[in-house]
Amino acid sequence: MDSQNKFMPQDYIPIMIQSFIVLGFVLTTMIMTHLLGPLRKSKAKLENFECGIEGMGNARSPFSVKYFLIAILFVLFDVEVIFMYPWAVNFRDLGANGFLDMLLFLGLLLLGFIYIVFKGALKWDNS
Amino acid sequence: MRLEDFLLMRHELLLTLIAIIILIAEIFTDDFKKQGIRPLSIILMAIVTIVGFLPAPTGTLFGGMYQATDMRLMMKNILNIGALIVFIQSASWLKSDDNQNKVSEFFLLLISTLIGMNFMISSGDFLMFYLGLELATIPIAALAAYDRYSNKSSEAGIKLILISALSSGILLYGISMIYGTVGSVYFDKVSVAYGATPLQIMSFIFFFTGMAFKISIVPFHLWTADVYEGAPVNVTSYLSVVSKGAAVFIFSIMLVTVFQNIAAMWKDVMWITAAITMTLGNLFAMRQNNLKRFLAFSSISQAGFIMLGIIGGSELGMAAVVYYILVYIFSNLGAFGVIAAISNASGGKENMSDYDGLYKTNPALSLTLTLALFSLAGIPPVAGFFGKFFLFTAVAEKGYWWLLTIAVLNTIISLYYYLLPVKAMFINKAETSIAYFKSDGWTKVGLIICVAGMVIVGFASVIFEYIRTLSFGL
Amino acid sequence: MTFLFYLLAAVAILSALMVVFSRSPINSVIFLIICFLSIAGHYILLNAQFLAVVHIIVYTGAIMVLFLFVIMLLNLNTSNEPHKSQLTRITAVITGGLLLLVLIAATKDAVLIQAKNPADYNIGLVKQIGQTLFKQFLLPFEISSVLFISAMVGAVMLGKKDSKKN
Repeated sequence: MDSQNKFMPQDYIPIMIQSFIVLGFVLTTMIMTHLLGPLRKSKAKLENFECGIEGMGNARSPFSVKYFLIAILFVLFDVEVIFMYPWAVNFRDLGANGFLDMLLFLGLLLLGFIYIVFKGALKWDNS
Repeated sequence: MRLEDFLLMRHELLLTLIAIIILIAEIFTDDFKKQGIRPLSIILMAIVTIVGFLPAPTGTLFGGMYQATDMRLMMKNILNIGALIVFIQSASWLKSDDNQNKVSEFFLLLISTLIGMNFMISSGDFLMFYLGLELATIPIAALAAYDRYSNKSSEAGIKLILISALSSGILLYGISMIYGTVGSVYFDKVSVAYGATPLQIMSFIFFFTGMAFKISIVPFHLWTADVYEGAPVNVTSYLSVVSKGAAVFIFSIMLVTVFQNIAAMWKDVMWITAAITMTLGNLFAMRQNNLKRFLAFSSISQAGFIMLGIIGGSELGMAAVVYYILVYIFSNLGAFGVIAAISNASGGKENMSDYDGLYKTNPALSLTLTLALFSLAGIPPVAGFFGKFFLFTAVAEKGYWWLLTIAVLNTIISLYYYLLPVKAMFINKAETSIAYFKSDGWTKVGLIICVAGMVIVGFASVIFEYIRTLSFGL
Repeated sequence: MTFLFYLLAAVAILSALMVVFSRSPINSVIFLIICFLSIAGHYILLNAQFLAVVHIIVYTGAIMVLFLFVIMLLNLNTSNEPHKSQLTRITAVITGGLLLLVLIAATKDAVLIQAKNPADYNIGLVKQIGQTLFKQFLLPFEISSVLFISAMVGAVMLGKKDSKKN
């Protein structure tokens, strides 16, 4: 029982080995393709392939700020969810008090979410 | 939580409550009824300000993490007054077409910064302090960029958020060193265990640097002028008065409690920075033509004067700091109120040369601005004189004669540039001065409060005596 | 363990340097991701498993996506960053180096406090964090919701197009 509940950094060695294998596989394949494959440089070969249509303009045109608004709201709710893991694990321990605390937290955030929806910040097309 | 606990935290809880009310009002009302949000927010804020003054118990909560003492309650009340005046002064500005559909956001963000400041002032540990500080600065950055169609406003927002992130990073680095050497984040434990090992001194330097950015003390003041110039006038006034006041309050509290063991060291650091801050702020203020930039540099040098009281470090010094902030709120908001009124009425005229001959056309506004500038300069009949006088007394009491000499010299220099706008308004001749305009009710009320504050706070010695009785309850 | 620490520290420092030195902003972001991953590795070495996972989810996941968005939003095609003069560079190197020197000198002899319970490997688990967060640090937790709301309101206020104005 006691040995089961002990969490040591060594427990992460399998994960480490796996990530090394993944990294090694990717690196090896990339290096091998470069080494094994024939190298042909021609104008047609180096051009971007866009379903047969000739590429035009610049690929790096600045795009709408709407994406950014969605992304930043996503980050906010992402961080909010982080707080829920420790709460969920301790749910029984914390009892009714913990539930009320979380309710207050989530209530405020829900209000913020309703504000976002009513303001139409998540609507894509508001012409 | 028991009822007494709610009473202890009444400032923060009431502010949170009105933030929620405003948010609900914004969500669930139609466009027509939204007109009512402006007066609603101002009235709610006025109620909170008044309720804050009612006598209430003091004590600590959450195991010392939240501390409510008489002094800290007084500080919160002073900030509430400042915020209320800013609310009233921005009422007519918010009515314009550009701002009409983000009125509640303005109030909401200001109230959330106020919540942050209140928690920061009441904090009993570094975690609460840091969270309050972040809550007090991040929404302000959004407000500095409030004027979305102006490049300068966006620039101010970006600069403010970058600088506040940088300074918070430095501050956190210092706090992490403190935790590493002491092993606790609670103020009372840190203050006992804090020695003068090299790492702890380093941690204090980092902490000081972080706070110096927020108060804009001289080597770290470079952001101030650009942000103050770019942000909308009402946001600038809030930034220069309420934000700065809150940072000064918590900084002075922490210096005399948490860092009491190294008082001799931080007094040396403060001595030098205070002298540089006063002098450089004054020298740069002389060369400004834009009135917002002018007031930005003036507020830098005012920060230097406020540091005198902290260096005094005594009961008198603390009372002088709190009293000076109260006076500063009325005087600076009076000056900014006039500038905001003129800027809104004349389509953004903020340069000193635009004010030529203003007395002929708008005598009431000119007199208010004159009074406010006199108070900032510390000319006898108004409250600013008494504020400066007490600060000087606090330093003289401890025998910092050189510092006192520098401060007095700087006061004389500041007289020169504070009188420049006065000269423009009363003496300079202009072919086309700003035409006469009628301010609306809210602006008048805001300015009347400021004028009344400048006169009453100066003459009613009860106020200073009252603050002085509090200061041992840090 | 010590070897792992040095490996992770070296990776973190090198990738952090690459963030600053690489020419393309996209490359900087990739190196920042590597830097964050190695810092997550440090957290695991310190028995702060929850923190490590959160760090990967929030920083390497969400915030890096935001960084990429910002790079896309800005038009960074032409590098028009003004070059700093030689004098500025030299002064920056000198002041930065002096700060580093002082910091090293201060940390060299520092007496750090001992961990309260070094044998307790459970300290960084989700359960322990929850116990601390919802009992001792309840107030900061609740205040953070106000911070979230003001961030939402600020983001919507700045990012949303006015329906009335073109």
